[in-house]
Amino acid sequence: MAYLTLSNISKQFGDTYAVQDFNLDVEKGEFVSFLGPSGCGKTTTLRMIAGFETPTDGAIALGGADITNKPPNQRKMGMIFQSYALFPNMTVAQNIGFGLRVRKDSKADIQERVREMISLVNLEKHAEKYPYQLSGGQQQRVSLARALAIRPDVLLLDEPLSALDAKIRVSLRAQIREIQRKLGITAIFVTHDQEEALSISDRIVVMYDGNVEQVGTPFEIYNFPTTTFVANFVGSLNTAVAEVTDPAKGLLSVNGVQFSSAAKMDGLQKGDNVRIAIRPERFSFASEVRKANVVDCRIENITFLGSVVRVHMLIGNSSFTMDTFNYPSLELPRIGATEQVTCSREAVLLLEEVRANGHEPKL
Amino acid sequence: MTVSAAPTQATVKSETARAPVRKNRFWSWLIFVVGALYFLVPLAATFYWSLRAEKDKFGFEAYRRLFADTNFLPSFSESIVNAIAAILISLLIIVPTAYWVTLRLPKLRPVIEFITLLPFVIPAVVLVFGLIRLYSRPPLLLTATYDSSRILLVCVYAALSFPYMFRAVDNGLRAMDVRTLTEAAQSLGASWPTILFRVIFPNLRVALLSGALLTFAIVIGELTIALFMAQHTLGPYMANLTRSKVYEPSAMAIVAFAITWAAMGIIQLIGRGQQGQIAGGH
Repeated sequence: MAYLTLSNISKQFGDTYAVQDFNLDVEKGEFVSFLGPSGCGKTTTLRMIAGFETPTDGAIALGGADITNKPPNQRKMGMIFQSYALFPNMTVAQNIGFGLRVRKDSKADIQERVREMISLVNLEKHAEKYPYQLSGGQQQRVSLARALAIRPDVLLLDEPLSALDAKIRVSLRAQIREIQRKLGITAIFVTHDQEEALSISDRIVVMYDGNVEQVGTPFEIYNFPTTTFVANFVGSLNTAVAEVTDPAKGLLSVNGVQFSSAAKMDGLQKGDNVRIAIRPERFSFASEVRKANVVDCRIENITFLGSVVRVHMLIGNSSFTMDTFNYPSLELPRIGATEQVTCSREAVLLLEEVRANGHEPKL
Repeated sequence: MTVSAAPTQATVKSETARAPVRKNRFWSWLIFVVGALYFLVPLAATFYWSLRAEKDKFGFEAYRRLFADTNFLPSFSESIVNAIAAILISLLIIVPTAYWVTLRLPKLRPVIEFITLLPFVIPAVVLVFGLIRLYSRPPLLLTATYDSSRILLVCVYAALSFPYMFRAVDNGLRAMDVRTLTEAAQSLGASWPTILFRVIFPNLRVALLSGALLTFAIVIGELTIALFMAQHTLGPYMANLTRSKVYEPSAMAIVAFAITWAAMGIIQLIGRGQQGQIAGGH
């Protein structure tokens, strides 16, 4: 039985559903991220777990017990906010000890636990400082220590890194993951940053418009997106409408250019239109290596992105991009030249929900 | 030649640019001086008059007589107690209301603001006659005795303080992220009273003090309502004093000013210390 279970959760604000029929099982010690654009319902779901919002329908269970209507102050969930939410009138040590004082732990226990937490987040020198005397990263570490001090059943993180600059964000997310692993605590992390979700999570729940689009490991989400939204939201993606030419052999045609796919085409027939997806990094020049699909393309533009070079090309009448590593001896074609690019059969994905019979799929 | 011409032009330009600033400063200073004179001349004259109690001699005789008057200290202390009681009632009504409006009912803010402004709209005389009419018969007979009238007076003072108290508290609440702080405290197991007394109140210290001291300043010398309710507070005492004495009312006015200024000074002092903490919290 899962540790945290969300069963058919919905949340309605007026006539609008912020979250609809959300189901999720989280195992003890697991790190799950809710990933999606603004307004997709990820924060609302987190707030329902925390108890700040009550679901319109459905149930939330923790360790087998129903907590759907339990007040937030009785749920034992540590919460970390984007704006840190440290109490301005208290020092770092007092902030960390707040939850322990509220539940009336002994003075000695509080002191010991606060010392332990301060050392966990490496803020020993700042124990007596007020929040305004700390940097953003330090304040968020205090917030983490404060949430962990009460030994919560679940740690909830609501975009905790969004207000920090890029370098601190990367180091703090590594620190959060390390501490979560060390303590074996169950964590739910809300973010709109795909890189953050991919790098930190055991599993990712990709959400869009109040619905779960896909649940999977970072590897699954990136390499095997099951919906157009996931494919587009997580990483860059080339998509094109293709006509099935031989479903048994996995052959498709994009404006007359033939592609071979390893995707299952059960139920598809010759002449059906589907949408295919190919990640830019799965293409390479055929002069370097030849894979199952070798197609002609016209080079439209070349963009340098630091470690990566992005090649914009036309295959048939469809625009595609190819990402290739940048290295000093890289020989790039000239713009307007005709080249051959290649990709494997596995690189050609079929987005399942857009399979349509005899006419172009709606997207 | 060409090289030296450029800095000269720049200097001319910067001089021209400075001229309007100087002009603005002149008007600012003029307005400040006129305003200060308008305020300070009567104050200085009152102070001067309060020092003339003894013939051909400057001294604090009027102040000595004032403090020696057996009615002064009882009415002064009664006003202080009334003010403190009014502040407490006002705080207990306004802080939870403003907090709840900010947290859960932001759409109600204009309604609450309007209600708190009513004491400004209704003249004191109208208010006091309305109150006497309403509370001089059962079931709310509060004008029967001196003490029950005093309770009514304190409640009226609390209502009079609403415009100042609500605005002070509301500004304080807007300066901090009330919702997130509340949720953070809740997630750590805090109940509503704990959140109010350990998180919200301490972070509203400056706002609460501002509201409280403004209330104090208003209540301490209030005349109309206290007079009609036959209360022996500082307001009626001062009114009586002006009828029977010459120099003591001036001394009394200076003492009242000193108290109000001290209250304002305390707000400034405490506000200065608190600013960094509030700002840093976000």
